[in-house]
Amino acid sequence: MPARARPLSPHLQVYRWQISNTLSILHRLTGVALSIGLVGLVAWFIAVAGGAQDYAALMRLYGGAFGWLIAMALVFAFFYHLLNGVRHLAWDVGFGFERRDRHASGWLVVAGALVLTAIALVLAAHFGGSSHG
Amino acid sequence: MAEFSLPANSKVRKDGRVFKAPDGATHVRVFKIYRFDPDSAENPRLDTYEIDMDQCGPMVLDALIKIKNEIDPTLTFRRSCREGICGSCAMNIDGRNGLACISACADIKGEVRIYPLPHMPVIKDLVADLTDFYAQYASIKPWLQTRTPAPPDSERLQSKSEQEKLDRPSACILCACCSTSCPSYWWNSDRYLGPAALLAAYRWIVDSRDEATGERLDQLEDPFRLYRCHTIMNCTEACPKDLNPARAIGELKQMMAHRRY
Repeated sequence: MPARARPLSPHLQVYRWQISNTLSILHRLTGVALSIGLVGLVAWFIAVAGGAQDYAALMRLYGGAFGWLIAMALVFAFFYHLLNGVRHLAWDVGFGFERRDRHASGWLVVAGALVLTAIALVLAAHFGGSSHG
Repeated sequence: MAEFSLPANSKVRKDGRVFKAPDGATHVRVFKIYRFDPDSAENPRLDTYEIDMDQCGPMVLDALIKIKNEIDPTLTFRRSCREGICGSCAMNIDGRNGLACISACADIKGEVRIYPLPHMPVIKDLVADLTDFYAQYASIKPWLQTRTPAPPDSERLQSKSEQEKLDRPSACILCACCSTSCPSYWWNSDRYLGPAALLAAYRWIVDSRDEATGERLDQLEDPFRLYRCHTIMNCTEACPKDLNPARAIGELKQMMAHRRY
């Protein structure tokens, strides 16, 4: 007699978000975000090359509050992906596998990315801001 | 391509049965347990059991046995040693994989949610089908392979430090907590060996008496079997024996690199 198909047990739906899987998926997501963000960066270069009018047109999009939010999210993505990439590099050469080290390095990466993003924000506000207008 | 949601026949119904605690119970805990009956045409569901903890042992397995003995004899689960050495009662408890027998109810906040090991075919209730998991273990040839004849008058000897390399990895009880906690294993368990089988492969590769190291590494040199490990580390978080499959897999990757360059 053909048995009825066995159900698949729940996985993503029930598994707890721990530091291990959370930071891992964040690494993926920031990687994807940076790839997409690269298109925005290239558009910016093209606008610069296109002259003052093109640049002003693009900056109406980039210079708004929404543009700033996206830019800062990408800056965070960059620093997180960079620092967590170093964390992965350490694992690849055999360091940091103990529970304490895994957790400490994870929190360090998150804190480091936030601090570097804040520094970037301060620098951007100081040197850039609305003065380009 | 990874399928993130459950197939239609696997979606869990929330309208399961509810078993109330007896009157006068003062220390009641709620257990929500995944149920699947292969003899019915219905989807899996979550049943609710209220347990008087004053009349129950401290471990999650104690609660499951109490339910089966006193409340609902149809509840099905694997168990044997009740002391964390057989690996039978591996399941997903409070969102994490572990052994019910060494998981204390007191360590869990709120409702105790119990599911079978994640992303596995379910035979009944908390019993997952481990056929493929065992086949993957067998595929790494978990036995000593030699070409030279054994010494005529003694065993194949090891130094103390050689033996110590095997101490931890050979403490694996094949409970499948690690492999079924791994998202990469969820999406690619047909081709990725998973942390348990790779830890076992590592155990034989670092064995000073084994003479098939090259063949063993050859077998792992594959985009999927070994390299689907993305160092997520859920395996090592989950291991109830406090082993470190993630480190073993990392060392295997290093061995691959070293023998090539």
